[in-house]
Amino acid sequence: MTIDLNPLSEAVIKGNIQAATQETQKALDGGGDPQTILDQGLIAAMDIVGQRFAAGAMFVPQMLRSAKTMQACVALLKPAFQAGTVSSKGTVVMGTVKADLHDIGKNLVAMMLEGAGFTIIDMGVDVLPEAFVQTVSEKSPEILGMSALLSTTMPAMKATIDALKDAGLRDKVKVMIGGAPVTAKFAGEIGADRYAPDAGSAVAAAKELLQTS
Amino acid sequence: MDNLPIPTFQPRLKVLEHRQALAIHTAALEILEKTGIKMENDRARKLLVDAGAKPFDTDWLRIPAFLAEEALGSAPRQILLYDQNGDKAMALRDDHFFFGTGSDTTFTLDLESGQRRGCVLNDTGRFARLVDALPRFSFAMSMSNPQDIPKIEFIYVYTFAEMLRNTNKPIVFIADRLEDMQHIHDLACMVAGGDAALRQKPFILNYSEAISPLRFPAHVVDRLMFCAEKEIPICLPSGSNAGGGAPITLAGALALGIAENLAGLIIHQLTRRGAPFLFGPNVSVLDMKSTVVSYGCPEWSLTQAALADMRDEIYGLPIWSFGGATDAKVVDAQAGAEAMFSIVTAMLSRCNLIHDVGYLEYGSTSSLEMVTLADELIAMARHFTKGIPVNRETLALDALDRVKSAGTRGIFLTDDHTFEHFEEALFLPELLDRSRYDAWMAEGGQDLYRRSNAKARSLLETHRLEPEMDAGLNDEIEALLQRI
Repeated sequence: MTIDLNPLSEAVIKGNIQAATQETQKALDGGGDPQTILDQGLIAAMDIVGQRFAAGAMFVPQMLRSAKTMQACVALLKPAFQAGTVSSKGTVVMGTVKADLHDIGKNLVAMMLEGAGFTIIDMGVDVLPEAFVQTVSEKSPEILGMSALLSTTMPAMKATIDALKDAGLRDKVKVMIGGAPVTAKFAGEIGADRYAPDAGSAVAAAKELLQTS
Repeated sequence: MDNLPIPTFQPRLKVLEHRQALAIHTAALEILEKTGIKMENDRARKLLVDAGAKPFDTDWLRIPAFLAEEALGSAPRQILLYDQNGDKAMALRDDHFFFGTGSDTTFTLDLESGQRRGCVLNDTGRFARLVDALPRFSFAMSMSNPQDIPKIEFIYVYTFAEMLRNTNKPIVFIADRLEDMQHIHDLACMVAGGDAALRQKPFILNYSEAISPLRFPAHVVDRLMFCAEKEIPICLPSGSNAGGGAPITLAGALALGIAENLAGLIIHQLTRRGAPFLFGPNVSVLDMKSTVVSYGCPEWSLTQAALADMRDEIYGLPIWSFGGATDAKVVDAQAGAEAMFSIVTAMLSRCNLIHDVGYLEYGSTSSLEMVTLADELIAMARHFTKGIPVNRETLALDALDRVKSAGTRGIFLTDDHTFEHFEEALFLPELLDRSRYDAWMAEGGQDLYRRSNAKARSLLETHRLEPEMDAGLNDEIEALLQRI
């Protein structure tokens, strides 16, 4: 049986939570495969959202509303999946580094990545290098994302990368960094894998790092 | 008996009715009383609780409105900043406005290559020296976040020392925590001649930030209380930017920013009543495409004009504000348009301490050319703001009679009245070009960016401080930098 997922995609793109959750429920009730609903209804919609945003045809609040809409739909899908069968693009551990308490940028990146199909473990702000290392060790994420707003806290990014090296984990995880004073040059100097200047490009960078689409 | 002179109306922009101002103020007090603040500094929390604030959850406090009213009552209505020679430089109060540069930019436009590159300490010095040379700039900030600091944790001590060496004007400085703040205070005392002299004639003002919404980190409040104790003037704007740390609607963003500012003021005045506090949040907007905090938007100009109205209607304290900045990446038409918009509106609404002049790229890049041309934009705006003096001399009926009597050859250009008055009657541009086309081409056909570049280079080559720093003081400063 073919289920028309276009209305679901449209609702996600418009950020209409009520319509999108209704469509998701309808698709499930009609015997739709949860993975198909996720891939072709939700993630496909978010890809279009991403493209429209990149083209300047959508604004950040609209994109975030779409992400929120998608999350509400994913919550409906979850019980329908066998445990562990939901496909994720990858897991990203994120946090603002030691002694830095700013999190608006980091939160935006986390929401955008989630919308793109990544699983996010958000460690919050003022995260010590050893805490990052412990979480990387326990959760084996594909990517570690670090944020800093202050030039005085940027060195904590290097300290975290060094701590990953000391723990023998540096090769197990890709490291992405961002934040107002951070530059691509700095990322190169401290041995991070990628620098992303904003939330939109963070998604593209994460996909590129994991060679996924 | 002569009649009284006719007063000159000086154009003044107002954006709030009294009831709007009161409603925003009331909302700010309601935020303090009902929502509360997250105070992560133990000493300040105790001060507030002892004064009547009610603790709840972890670190949260509800603050009664009377504490805000008391703090507004005890904070001085004028902040007098001196220059480093001990002369009065900036009386921050009611309708006085002063322009200056901004702080931590990651990049600067290289004066020689025109390329955007990472800042170095020498840039801090060059910006300070340029500020010293430009007559419409009243104070210096670092304009850079240098990459070549030997000890990054003392970056603000190094930039402060570099500013001391390159300007005698007042300095608005940043510190990270109590430790570097103390070193900076030591440096300032060396210049002023000790702690008592610095209290008597402060030439520094600290810029610190709480975090919107409603968060007061321990080290930020340490700095706030240190400044209160030492009577170093301070401002504590939070980044209550619409759509980011604060609601997207400007009234809500203002109310939140003001609530946070009042909380800071309360702690400050409880620490030391009468210590100088420069009022005002930063309320810009997050751009809805890039999420950068915009420095070229009309909204920031609107919120600080509102704050100036609220100063006049309610608070009475001098305010912190911005102007002369842009989101453009280069010194182009956008840069000129945005910079001029905020300079004119800041002046017309009588903002007091107006910083960030010369910022490009939403505050990520600084430009010596931008600072140089802004000096002229400020002069242009100031000429407008002076208004039109009306008296017998300016009405010039006598001059008209003379020109009329000269018959067909009569023209005001040749009349003595023109010779006697043109310098104060007109704005005489220096960088803004009004030359005839052929003359402009003969001078190389340069645009404003190139002309500003040439002027900045020339000033940096020729300008000398009055006086340059003496060798003994320079050694003392160097010794402190070596010690930390």
